[in-house]
Formats: sequence, structure tokens, C-alpha cells
Amino acid sequence: MSNIKIKSKNLNVYYGDKQALFDVNLDLNEKEVTALIGPSGCGKSTFIRCINRMNDVIDICKVTGNIEMDGMNINDKDLDVVSLRERVGMVFQKPNPFPKSIYDNISYGPKIHGKGETKSELDQIVENSLKKSALWEEVKDRLDEPGTSLSGGQQQRLCIARAISVNPEVILMDEPCSALDPIATAKIEELIDELKKTYTIVIVTHSMAQAVRVSQKTGFFHLGKLIEVGKTEKIFKNPDNKMTQDYITGRFG
Amino acid sequence: MNIVLIFLITIFSVSLFFYGKSKTKTISIKDNIKLNALPKFYGYYLVLWCSIPALVFLLVWSLFEPVIIKSIIIETAANQGAIFSDKNEANLIYEKIKAIHLGTYFGDIDSILRESALAYAKFINLFTNSKVVLIFGIIIASIIYSLKKIKNNNKARDDVEVILKGLLFVSSLIAILTTLGIIFSLLFESIKFFSVINVFDYLFGTNWSPQRAFVRDASSITAAEFEELKDAFGFIPLIAGTSFIAFIAMLVAVPIGLFSGIYMAEYASIKVRRISKPIIEILAGIPTVVYGFFAALTVGPFFRQVGENLGLTVSSESALAAGLIMGIMIIPYVSSLSDDVINSVPQSLRDGSYAVGATKSETIKQVVIPAALPGIIGSVLLAVSRAIGETMIVVMAAGLAANLTINPLESTTTITTQIVMILVGDQEFDSPKTQSAFALGLTLFIATLILNYIAQRAVKKYREKYD
Repeated sequence: MSNIKIKSKNLNVYYGDKQALFDVNLDLNEKEVTALIGPSGCGKSTFIRCINRMNDVIDICKVTGNIEMDGMNINDKDLDVVSLRERVGMVFQKPNPFPKSIYDNISYGPKIHGKGETKSELDQIVENSLKKSALWEEVKDRLDEPGTSLSGGQQQRLCIARAISVNPEVILMDEPCSALDPIATAKIEELIDELKKTYTIVIVTHSMAQAVRVSQKTGFFHLGKLIEVGKTEKIFKNPDNKMTQDYITGRFG
Repeated sequence: MNIVLIFLITIFSVSLFFYGKSKTKTISIKDNIKLNALPKFYGYYLVLWCSIPALVFLLVWSLFEPVIIKSIIIETAANQGAIFSDKNEANLIYEKIKAIHLGTYFGDIDSILRESALAYAKFINLFTNSKVVLIFGIIIASIIYSLKKIKNNNKARDDVEVILKGLLFVSSLIAILTTLGIIFSLLFESIKFFSVINVFDYLFGTNWSPQRAFVRDASSITAAEFEELKDAFGFIPLIAGTSFIAFIAMLVAVPIGLFSGIYMAEYASIKVRRISKPIIEILAGIPTVVYGFFAALTVGPFFRQVGENLGLTVSSESALAAGLIMGIMIIPYVSSLSDDVINSVPQSLRDGSYAVGATKSETIKQVVIPAALPGIIGSVLLAVSRAIGETMIVVMAAGLAANLTINPLESTTTITTQIVMILVGDQEFDSPKTQSAFALGLTLFIATLILNYIAQRAVKKYREKYD
């Protein structure tokens, strides 16, 4: 049994008057991939955005309850959000490279956090990040081209490289393949397999097949509630809950 | 007379509308015919047919009537024995005849003029009567034609569509043609100017003093006068003054406008935005003449006072005062345009930046502004072209003397100010002095056209990237 990296207890999220998450208790294991599945609007994305406090960006959003990483309270008002996000990276649904060169896209994070003081250190970080995201071979000769000139799948891997450039412990992925074709998706999934050796990964996905392929643990959300969580094999072969059964067999959602 | 006619046409049209509507309704009910369009479209159809031909005829008639009457009258006067050597004298005689007819002529009236005035009265009468008769004829003809059409249950809805399309087309044609007309009038007058003054003397001359150009007739310039004229129309001091004042204005407007745009787009809460955005936009609604006297009466003297206290000589009309006020005038343009472009930078880019741990100001500085840069440059260029074209403030606050200076405390002048100076008051339309105004206008037009073009390209390029 691996260590628990992130632990949420009675986590509630409200958007204005509307409650989006109800008493979510979910543990994420270190160096493992946890998949979150469920119909649209069920709170999966809301949950992972609690982990790096991205919900702070939304004015009307309010989070109560407890969420801890290595025993540190993420929800603490005095917590330094910047250093939290340094430790918890994120990859979004649509590839969102900055309108900068490939090199600058990756060096952006390290520069902000004062990592890589010299040019050669930065070069090293950029190279390592691109190698880890399996993009190095494709772009090493054109690092000064704009990130937006890459294909969709390459852009998403660039965003993954950007996320790992600051050397986080956790990577959150919010439907990272939903805008990609099957070949690009296969590449990203391969990459996730590789990355889980170093990082704790949480992935939100609408594809049941993808959850089975990449994850060790799966949580099923419905209408803001965590219905069932367990080993991926168990959830997909023999779920305890009727609703989970219905969802994974495609009876609703 | 025309007003009465237009009134009559309107009354006819309105009553026809109701007539057509109810008529088709009753027919369709009585004979149980399925109409090809709603009854009201038959009404519209009649209205359009009744009014448009008559109105177009009235317009064309009113355009040509004076011209035709004039040529007839001048000919009559010539037959009566009036003597005139050129067009101008003929015009003068025609004006006299008209004045006699209207009873506003107080000079000596000889028999030729009296006879011509009587002829004029006769023709005016004849023309007016035939106009009325013809218009009624046209109205009746078109009513008969359109009534026949709707009796045959035509597709009135489609026909109304076609007529409306034609109307809209004509409107846009008028808009385009008037613009072209303005450009050509600028162009032709400028060509006249450049036939006297060498283009290069104009473009690269460093001395602007058009008051020296007292030459009456451009075609009879002596060599000495030509030398004199050669360096009276140097464009350099004007473009220098214009750019200088625009530059000062930009120094004020760009930072303040841009920063307030950033604040509005990124930091202000919805409540603050809702209140402060209209307030900033009120600045854009203040007439420039108000800014002008604020600059001339308040800011200019204030700078002079401050300058005196510091031991500097400050002219009471200074480039600094004009530029500063112009900058304040432009702030809302820069602010609201850059607010818009910053707002249209996708949220996903900001999220990406926050997600690697950037703070808000880092995100704005390194991601949002670079992404919005083409749009921001576009908005600044639009503001520059406004600054260059601005007239009232500089007329009132910047001075009239064409000094070639880079001292913001001295008075200087701009292209627009000089155009105003040249065309205010009495002038001769064929002297190079007057024509130089058109040359200035053309230069200004080309300059702002280029700026606007670049600005719109920049904005468009930016839009393509993110839409």
C-alpha cells in the first residue's frame, strides 16, 4: 500500500448559492494515477481545482472542509498559493500554450520561481521537461518558434512540459485528451504511465476506457457527491454501487 | 411648393396603405382566394409605388430646374441686348434678374433687366405648374399600375423585399459617392496647388508663412514672386509641430489609458466596473472645444505661472498645455479599447499561468499583455490618428506661429490649426494660399489613413488568433 499524498475530508464547494461538492472524502495515493469519472457537471473538475486552489480565481466560489497534502492544510487562508501551485501543477482541457516561443513557454515557470539562475541551467530545465513530456525529439531544433505553431497533441504535451518544469509533486489533469485525436491521446496516455513513476497524478476523464488504461484508482462522482471510490479494476469489474454500475455500463451519463 | 408636394405625396401614400390592406382582405374573404402575401404587404407595396417615383422625380426636377432656367434666362437677356464677356458677368446679371423678381434689388433697373425679370417670372411659373402636373401624373400612373398588380394577386411580399433592397443599396451608394467626392475635391485642389508650388518644396521646406502669398492669379506669377512663394509653403514645421503635440499627448494618454484599461479588465470588481466605465467614457463625450478653452484659459496660464516661478520663459500658448489636454481627451479611447482587447484574451491563458504559480501581476505582465499586444498597439495607433486630426484644442491652446522647435514651453502649430487659419475669413479660392489648405488636408488625410490601416490590420490579426 502506497502513502497517501492528498487527503480530503468533508470537502464542500459552493458557487454562490449553488453547492457543487457535498462532503467529499477522497484520498489520493502517492505516485499513482487516480482517475475521476462521472457525468458532466458532477464536480470532478471542481474537486481537482480545490487541490491547487484554482477556485480562488472565481470570485463567488467558497470552499469549506478539509483538504491536506502531506499533512499541510491546503485550505488554510494564510497558505502561500504561489508555492502550493509550484508543488501542484495542472494541465487543462484545451491546450493553452502562451503566445510565446516553445522555450519561453517552459522557462516561464522556473523563471518566476527563481529556478535556473543561469542560461545553461534554464536550458537544462527546458530540455529535461521536454524530454519527460516526450516532446524533445520533435521540437529540439525549433525551440524559438511560437508554441501555438505546434499541433494540438504537441501543444498538450508542451503544456505538460510546462507543468513539470517547476518540478511539482502532484499533476492535475482536467480532461487532457478531450480536444485531441486518438493518436495524440495514445501518446499522452503513454506519457502518463511514464510520469506516474515520479509524480502523483489526478486525471479527470470522460472516457471510461482511458480511466481503465491509465489509472490505478478510480472515483465516481455524481451530482457533486463522491459515490464510490476504489481500485480501478474493482470499480470497473465489480462496483459496489448500483449507480456506478449503471454509469460504467453506459446506462446514463 | 416642394413641401406641399411632399406633404401631398405622404397623405396619398398613407391612405393607399389602408386602402390596399383592407381591399385585399375583403377580396380574399369574399372570393375565398389564398393571398400570396399578408394584406399589409399589399399596403406597403402601394405606398412604395406611390411615393418613390414621385419623390425621385421631384428630387431630379429640383436639381435641374435652376440650371435650365438660368441658361434660358441668360440667353433671353443676351437676346434683349445684355452684354457680358465671360461666365462670371453672366452669373452677375442672372443674380440681378433674380433679385429684381424677388424685389430685393436696389440698383438701377434698365429695360433689359426689367424685361428679363418678367421673362424669369414667366418661366418660374411655367416650371412650377408643369412640375405639379407631372408629379400628379406620375402619382396617378403609379397608383393605377400598382393597383392593377395587386388585383392580380402578385407576390407583394417578395416585391417589397426587392424595392427595399434597392433603397438600401442607394443609401450605401450615396455614402460611398460622397466620400469619393470629398477625396477628389481634395485631390483636384491639391493638384492646382502643386502646379504652382513644387511638391518637394512643399514636403521638405522648413518655412511656413502662407500670408506672403498675396499673388492674385496663379497663372501670372513673376519670377521674383515665384522665388518668394517657393519657401512660403514648407510643410516640415507643421508636421513637426503636429507630431510633437501628438507625442506629448501620447505620453499622457498611453500610460494612463493602458493602466486604467488593465485595472478595469483585470482587477476591478463587477460593481466598480459598472460605475467607473461609464464615468471614463463621459470624458469621451466632452466636446473638444470645451477641452480647448480649458487648455487655453486654465492650463496654459497655470504653466506660465509655474514657469515664471521657476525662472523659465513659458509662452502662454504652449505645446505642453495643448498636448497635455489632448492626452487627457484621448485617455478614454485608449482605456476602453485596451480594456476590450485585454478582456478578449482567453481565460485559459491566465489559468495556465496561475497554475504554474504565477501571481496576478506576473500573469498580466508576462502573459496577458503580450497576448493582447497587437490589439493594444492598434488602439494606440487609433488614438494617434485622433491626436493628429484633433483641431479645436490646438487652435485654442498651441498657438499659430509655425516655429520649428522642440521646446515644449514654446508655442507651435499643427496642420489642422493652419487649415483653420487659412480658411477662416475672406479668401480667394484660386490663390495658392487657399489651395495650400487642400494640400494640407490631403497630406493629413493620407497620414491618418495609413495609421488607421496599420491599426486595423493589427487589431484584425489579433482577433484571428483567438476567435
